[in-house]
Amino acid sequence: MKLFVPSPGHIDSLMELLTQKEKIYSIFMAGSPDYIGTGRSNLASPQLEDIKEQTEFAHKNGVKMELVLNSSCMGGRQLMPEGYRTNHWYVEKLVDIGIDSIVVADPYLVETISRDFDVDVVVSVLAFVDSPQKAEFFEDLGAKSIVIDSNVNRHFDVLHAIKDSVDCELKLLVNEGCLYRCPFRYAHFNFFSHAFGPEPRPNVLDDYYYLKCLELRIENPELIIKSPWIRPEDIKLYRDITDVYKIGGRTHFVDWILNCVNAYYNESYDGNLMDILDCPKDLKDLYNIPNKSLDGILEKQWTNCKKVCNKCGYCRTLTKKVTQVYSNGGTQRQMCVPWDTIAVKT
Amino acid sequence: MGYNSGENMILEEILKNRAGFEEKLRKLIGRPVLLIELDMFALPCGCSGITANMRGLEFDDLEVFEPQILPLVKEMAENLGVKPTVTFARLVPGSSIVASLNWRTLCPRCYPEFARGAGKMPRPDLYMLVFERRK
Repeated sequence: MKLFVPSPGHIDSLMELLTQKEKIYSIFMAGSPDYIGTGRSNLASPQLEDIKEQTEFAHKNGVKMELVLNSSCMGGRQLMPEGYRTNHWYVEKLVDIGIDSIVVADPYLVETISRDFDVDVVVSVLAFVDSPQKAEFFEDLGAKSIVIDSNVNRHFDVLHAIKDSVDCELKLLVNEGCLYRCPFRYAHFNFFSHAFGPEPRPNVLDDYYYLKCLELRIENPELIIKSPWIRPEDIKLYRDITDVYKIGGRTHFVDWILNCVNAYYNESYDGNLMDILDCPKDLKDLYNIPNKSLDGILEKQWTNCKKVCNKCGYCRTLTKKVTQVYSNGGTQRQMCVPWDTIAVKT
Repeated sequence: MGYNSGENMILEEILKNRAGFEEKLRKLIGRPVLLIELDMFALPCGCSGITANMRGLEFDDLEVFEPQILPLVKEMAENLGVKPTVTFARLVPGSSIVASLNWRTLCPRCYPEFARGAGKMPRPDLYMLVFERRK
């Protein structure tokens, strides 16, 4: 198994992460927001000398280093002469540093970087590769690896079709807790790309997409169950598709990241599923979904799921069965109660 | 765990009130809303108070349950020893999302900003629950 593990972006994090280097194939982190930026939030903006130091440290420990430049919107800057020159200059520096791979979302960057540089180009999950046709397109542009759109993580027919269509490496993002077929996805990542990209950056007080996403799942935790995460125990069902897995979560503490690394490395987690999901951070103090209570569900139900929820109702029933809510959190009276004892019956 | 400290009464009160307020709102609204962070604050202008950052609370909830919510916000202020001039909800601009509930003891400079506005929404992102006008 090859595990790609997030780093918050500074050397102290990396040193701590690599105390468990035998479980880690590659680290990935964002670069400086001043050039291409990324489609997700970042905690650090490592400059070239920081990246160099961290890359050397990773390599010394036998771990690869991947830089994430997966902005989903650059406002056309990448197509202007000045933007092209700046991006090219930055990628050249990263390649000189010895970065092993670069993750991008924009097809133009996939083509130009793979053509002009000796570095592996990885197609980001934010390029939304969810069909064999898209996978072929990106492979033809020069991609060495594709992170498959997590929306199809439970569409085994599509996963197998992609696998059969390309020769490049395929990666699965295992612990993203985003809404299945999230309606905010494009707008949210475009917003992040500007907020964590070059100036001018939007100065936004409240992230509507994030708060609305939480609101929907507080109202209906079935949306968490339907998110396309892959439990550590279910990795075995994906082995004939790939053995390369990416753990999301570069805005978390190292302790949280290592907890995920251990869960996926050991292919087992005995705790709250919410502990290892990256995206709905805030909801881990609201819901307790015992991970082991979901044993066998993927194999039994979701591998053949037709995604016609209103005719099925399996996930609705499952949600009522397994979802608990923390009540009186942070006090001596804290306890877990079944979700449907709090929620109004609908 | 915070609730085991037994040493800091202020923090214990905040923990207890965070959980209590959240429980009461959940029972009222019929949804497990989350009070993600309860803060007491002081601003450089002289304002001070409490902020409850909410997840899952909507503007409709305030409108429908306002008579039931008002005693809860008053109780929270009393429990934490705050005498707010104004209690309001802050909305994510242009949406129905309630980002936070705020209990604020206004300083002389900020008081006019709130006092001049009329109605429940002196600003598009603020929904007034209680305002104690000076005599």
